[in-house]
Amino acid sequence: MSNIHGKAYAMNTVSPMKPWKTYILRLFFFIWRHYKPLGDGLVQLSFIHFARWVIVPRCAFPRLSEQQPKDDLQYDYLFFFSNFNGTWNQYIDAFSAVLFFGLNNIWRWSEKFPGSVPVTPFKSFIVRGQVETDYYYTAYPHATTNDVKAAHRVQAALGDFARQMEGMPPAKFADAYLQFLVKVQGDLGETGEAPVGT
Amino acid sequence: MSKLDITDIQGFALRGYNFPFARFLFLKISDKQKGRECIGRLVKYITTGERWDQGKPKTTVNIAFTYKGLVALGLPEPSLLSFPVEFVQGMKARGAILSDTGKNSPHHWDAVWEHEVHAWLGVFAQSQPDLEYQCSELLTLLQESGGATKIDSQDAGALQINGQITTKEHFGYTDGFGNPEFMGVEKDSQPGQGKLTADGKWTPLATGELLLEYADEAGELPVAPLPHLLASNGTFMVYRKLHQNVATFRKYLKEKGALYPGGTEKLASKFIGRWRDGTPVELSPSEPSPAIVGDKSRNVNFTFGNDLDGARCPVGAHVRRTNPRDAFGFNGKLINRRRISRRGMPYGPYTPEDQPGTDDEEHGMIFMALNASLFRQFEFVQQQWIEYGNDARQGNDKDILIGNHGGSGKVMIQGTTDPNNPPFLCGALPNFVELRGGDYFFVPSITALRMIAANSVDPR
Amino acid sequence: MANKSGSIYGLTILSPVKDDPHAEISPSLAVRMYLQTLPVDGRGPFGRVSSTHMARLVVLDDVVYFGMPSCEEHLKSKYLIFESNFDGELEPYLKQLAAEASDEVHNIWQHCIGYPGVQNVDAFIAYMKRCQVETTFYFADVNNKTVQQTLQALQTQSAVASFIEKNQGKPSEELQPAFIEFMSRLNKAPRPKPGSTKGKELTDELL
Repeated sequence: MSNIHGKAYAMNTVSPMKPWKTYILRLFFFIWRHYKPLGDGLVQLSFIHFARWVIVPRCAFPRLSEQQPKDDLQYDYLFFFSNFNGTWNQYIDAFSAVLFFGLNNIWRWSEKFPGSVPVTPFKSFIVRGQVETDYYYTAYPHATTNDVKAAHRVQAALGDFARQMEGMPPAKFADAYLQFLVKVQGDLGETGEAPVGT
Repeated sequence: MSKLDITDIQGFALRGYNFPFARFLFLKISDKQKGRECIGRLVKYITTGERWDQGKPKTTVNIAFTYKGLVALGLPEPSLLSFPVEFVQGMKARGAILSDTGKNSPHHWDAVWEHEVHAWLGVFAQSQPDLEYQCSELLTLLQESGGATKIDSQDAGALQINGQITTKEHFGYTDGFGNPEFMGVEKDSQPGQGKLTADGKWTPLATGELLLEYADEAGELPVAPLPHLLASNGTFMVYRKLHQNVATFRKYLKEKGALYPGGTEKLASKFIGRWRDGTPVELSPSEPSPAIVGDKSRNVNFTFGNDLDGARCPVGAHVRRTNPRDAFGFNGKLINRRRISRRGMPYGPYTPEDQPGTDDEEHGMIFMALNASLFRQFEFVQQQWIEYGNDARQGNDKDILIGNHGGSGKVMIQGTTDPNNPPFLCGALPNFVELRGGDYFFVPSITALRMIAANSVDPR
Repeated sequence: MANKSGSIYGLTILSPVKDDPHAEISPSLAVRMYLQTLPVDGRGPFGRVSSTHMARLVVLDDVVYFGMPSCEEHLKSKYLIFESNFDGELEPYLKQLAAEASDEVHNIWQHCIGYPGVQNVDAFIAYMKRCQVETTFYFADVNNKTVQQTLQALQTQSAVASFIEKNQGKPSEELQPAFIEFMSRLNKAPRPKPGSTKGKELTDELL
């Protein structure tokens, strides 16, 4: 029972929203999907494998039988599921430092959100809304998303080089190999254990 | 921001003194009441941040306490428990976070760290006789007060080469560049020391990255103990004795240097990000440049934004690992809360360059760094940037110079297709540096020292 | 479509958990206890449901109350949240889940309301779809590579680093045959298994 598997951390948060505010959040997500620059910061930070926001309206919690009691909720609920790299503190520090605009526009519609800057009250808000993960699986536990992207670049470069090298005379090989090295030189970090969580 | 009262802040917190001789005395408080009286008598010796308008003193004295030291001095419990968790635990207990394992684990530390070290008394001096005289005076005071005893001491001193005092360290590099600049802290301002603004200029970091009870880079106050007066103008110090395996380093550099087309000195510059004379590789990748080194407006003034591939200064170079500047994008915003102010000093005699050196002799670096938050600053850099490489997109690869490699692990020196600057892989990395002990200390203000001495620290 | 990013599907399932006031161990506790026994690496169920990049199971006891002036309210049922990030489309994935992890699926979801068992795959798929909630916004950093492609790439990355180290400084006439030999071995190497923790060891064996 752990939030952590290898280098990945499974964070789950829940926060209540007044139903009329949900429409505004949906609009913001719609804009984000179609206006790429909003997502650039997330891509540049490069420490999330997969993340999702899920709005569950108050009547939409699945009810599968008549015997299951009917819920009578006032709030819609915003769920956030993240698969990220790094420690909990590091993750939230980074978000607060550089992505506060996006974060504010996602969570300001939730009750009692203190803003994502400064970071300490923001961390308290997340702690309050965080639900622990009971089971977490990753297919590549020793690789961060940086490692994964680097690996794909190396794979592509190797494929190109191997094709290029077919039938190449030895005299040209050395040069071609050097160029291959320059291509992959930034992407050869070892994979392995994560630093301990803090 | 409010003007700093430099007479209330210990001088050691504000700047390095650049005195060539030092001794660090590790003390045990023998008795609460007598201990406090002893502190009361020591206060007048403590060097503050006051300007030396009448010339430099012969010696300086500063004091700092571990958590156990504050307990031994009888601070009230609610105040003690309001200190940050990592300080309360002490550095030894934080070994898993810091990768102080294997050769760096406490099993290999100096005997002094088996004792409960309560206080650090740092004495810097202009000459050896001055140092001896000052220490003798202090020890006499300790003895007379009956409040504290010396467990052990550690000498340190600038390396002397051919009779000249230098700023070199044992691997042959010139040290002492690139300490951060903080708002309100007067010192020689150099471009490149602070943080980057959106238009590419340098500006000082928030005072609260160094001193407690001031706003930090996140726009809030760092975690600080109560009451406010106890914390205000204080800071935290990390002290680590880093033994240097001079023979191993020289042998490794020689072997790899023979294979590296650019030559041994160039390879050495790639390890650190500076040539041995201190020239930043980023500004002068092909050769050292005395002109740049000697120019304060240039010798720390560089960024990595035009060298993201690491072809000039490798991504894993020590100065780039420990201060990535703009390498992570976002105008350096991810870096600004991870800066530390260093006061390190070598210990042990210098081994001339033409000798292979030894690993066994007592020589190395006394690493001391100051920051408002040990957890967010020093511990973060140690855990995430030195012993791990993901932020730099280098996977698990560690800092080449001080990483706890254990004989395996590697660093890639990036290059170009230029035959003198090719990509070059350094593998089977040994531990060039080994930890021989240390701890976390609280460096109180003069007001706080007087409060502790007078037993007038309120819980709230 | 909000559930997808590139070729990756973001599945979010909320299954209401049974309530049994007479049980010695409540169904939600039973789910938790069972989950604790499952291996989290490739030996666990998702190692076999091999299109899974990352997946989690979370027992949601209740919604969260953030304090006044917001209102305190409670869910009348507990929910088992299943969040998965996998290659491809939903139905083939659920089919694979039912086939490759039938024991574990049964042991987990038997505590949930309306669960029809795994034997009838169509009924199982219909049940899971009833519990599915739409992902409102989905982010996948690498959204165009399968699990297998990623595992392969990681193996290649490690192997290339080892090759470079071993062959550094060799003259061209030695390097080229060494590289050809290396490629041959790499291409014949066993496919890396998902959830494996043996990265470098496998590469060292390889070379």
